[in-house]
Amino acid sequence: MTAAAAPILEFHDVTVAYGRRPVLWNIDLAIAEPCLFGVIGPNGAGKSTLLKAALGLVPVVGGYVRYFGAPLAGVRGRVGYVPQRETVDWDFPVSVMDVVLMGTYGRLGWLRRPGRRERELARRCLDRVGLGDLAERQIGRLSGGQQQRVFLARALAQEADLYLFDEPLAGVDVRSQEHIFQVLAAIRDEGKLVVVVHHDLRTAAEWFDRVALIDMRLVATGPTADVLTPDNLRRTYAGRVELLEELGRAVAERGRTP
Amino acid sequence: MMIDLGTSAAWTPLVAAAGPAGLAMTYNTLVVLAGVAAVGFAAGVAGTLALLRRRPLVGDAAAHATLLGVGTAFLLTGRRDLPTLLAGALVSAVAAVGVLVLLRRIARTRDDAATAIVIGVSFGAGLAVVAGITARGLPGSAGLEQFLLGHTAALTARDALLLAAASLGVVVLVAVALKEAVLVAFDAAFAAASGWPVGLIDAALVSLVALMVVVGLPAAGAVLVTALVVIPPVAARQWTNRVGPMLLLAGLFGLAAAVAGVLLSTLRPGLATGPLVVLAAAAICFVSFVVAPERGWLARRLGEADRRRRWTRGRVLGECFALCGDDAATGFERALVIDRAAGDSGSLRRDAGRAWHQLVREGVLERATLRAGGRDFGQESVARGAAVRGAMPQAGRDRWRLSSAGLVQARERRRRIGAWRDVLDAAVENGRDALTLDLPAPEEVLEGVVLAPLAAAWQSAPRAAEDTR
Repeated sequence: MTAAAAPILEFHDVTVAYGRRPVLWNIDLAIAEPCLFGVIGPNGAGKSTLLKAALGLVPVVGGYVRYFGAPLAGVRGRVGYVPQRETVDWDFPVSVMDVVLMGTYGRLGWLRRPGRRERELARRCLDRVGLGDLAERQIGRLSGGQQQRVFLARALAQEADLYLFDEPLAGVDVRSQEHIFQVLAAIRDEGKLVVVVHHDLRTAAEWFDRVALIDMRLVATGPTADVLTPDNLRRTYAGRVELLEELGRAVAERGRTP
Repeated sequence: MMIDLGTSAAWTPLVAAAGPAGLAMTYNTLVVLAGVAAVGFAAGVAGTLALLRRRPLVGDAAAHATLLGVGTAFLLTGRRDLPTLLAGALVSAVAAVGVLVLLRRIARTRDDAATAIVIGVSFGAGLAVVAGITARGLPGSAGLEQFLLGHTAALTARDALLLAAASLGVVVLVAVALKEAVLVAFDAAFAAASGWPVGLIDAALVSLVALMVVVGLPAAGAVLVTALVVIPPVAARQWTNRVGPMLLLAGLFGLAAAVAGVLLSTLRPGLATGPLVVLAAAAICFVSFVVAPERGWLARRLGEADRRRRWTRGRVLGECFALCGDDAATGFERALVIDRAAGDSGSLRRDAGRAWHQLVREGVLERATLRAGGRDFGQESVARGAAVRGAMPQAGRDRWRLSSAGLVQARERRRRIGAWRDVLDAAVENGRDALTLDLPAPEEVLEGVVLAPLAAAWQSAPRAAEDTR
């Protein structure tokens, strides 16, 4: 396989376990083209673990992940990660600007401090997510949607080629949701791959180009309309969602317009 | 036990030089004071990082382990000069922190349990060693117990310079690696995903804290030195929302506490420094908790009271407006307004009463009887009052109405409430964030909001009329 033909992101037989119980089991997944890619599944399906395994944040039992045909270590600068919002202490004494600047640290490396170039970049990123006015605000004084957008701006400041988002729309109001999806789509339109762990099937059908349905194992992957079928959803959510039939029909009807 | 600090003949004692009043400053005393000041500053700075990383107890584990190192170093070398003993303390402190990390990884214990184990075991071992040395009456062993509670009176100028140099090193290290430390403290997962060696940075941080604890030993002692690392940052956090100022403030608080403790300890010969340093730090912290702007208890209580006051004022104004009608043609009674605004809640009635007086002072309310002749403004409210309270009020007394200025205010208030309801109903962008208890005009705080159709909407369909008072 030549370097040009290598998928942007490839999971090869990735298996993760806590103790003897697999959380992810035999995940084979390759994403070749830049797109807005949704990782969908019920609670506890291992969606977040998939991202953490890809980033080496949890140990894998077996399998490997390749970025642009290479291991992560060589391409870290090209990979941006946005953890779940609840993982940090929002009472931390930093401003919005400080957090966005952290996106530039990877490129800066040890000891070098962010300078004017970084500040200007951070400001542009804040403008893109609609928080230009709040640069100096303490992060604790933001709404949930605004906090999520700060994380989004920090990711933009990484200037990566591939983004991994962990539930960027959890606990976010409808307005912010729309805004965040628009920014995600804009990143995709720059020719980058955007992988989003997501829980809401309706918005999934509306926004994602391709999805992977995951419940410990990979149930199905491909173009959104092909994957979100009642049959696939039943296999993913088996017994967990009572309104499954109805949900599947609604999703099938709404399948993203090209 | 051995906490007889009066017999401190260990290092060249300076108690005599400082004098019982402690004010006769020799060169040596000044150098010691400067050294301790540097230690206090560095402890506050290093402690800030530990606190931000939510590892405030790492210092405690390291501190309690130092006694073991001090005793062992004395046993092995037979020397009792400060550099030797502190070197021993540093080894045992770093070892304790290392064990702590290992316990967390290998034994899969909770953080607090692991810390408790390390503190208990290492301190117990340290006490045993020192007690053994003291009991055997080895020559020159009398100074060891001073590491328990701190005793700066015994420091020489050279010792103090050593402590100051180490403190300076700590501060420089923090300044150099601040970016990395804050990144890991705020979001370790993100830092790890970006390729930063989080484990290494954490190890460096706890080693730094261990070093700081060792340097602080002569000033505060093994039992209390952790307070010098933890308390100043906690106090500093009250005053600022930024890491930079927090570091500086924590340093200054630590410095002040250390210097105050040392000065106080010179008042009486043989007084241990540690407790006094900690008490000084605690005093700073307590003051910060109470008077700091925003986060302080006083500011929060005053803010709360202020919010209640303003809210109730608006509520009372709204009730008056509801009773008097759009053209202010009808008068109303104070008692009825209070009833409707506050129900039978005692504290709320008091607030409403105060709000009423405020409105009168402001000229928003005036006595209805001031208007000469004409209609009886009280009739309608008397009837309503009777319905509400189930009792006939005394007619003809206590009749009020809104002044023309008050009417303008009340109308504006009602307009804003309606407009805000529309803003929320229409899910206008940032609407939820812009609405505050002060009820600002939506068109002023929200850019590009077109209120005209919204206003028309609430006038034509006054839904939830009860709520718009």
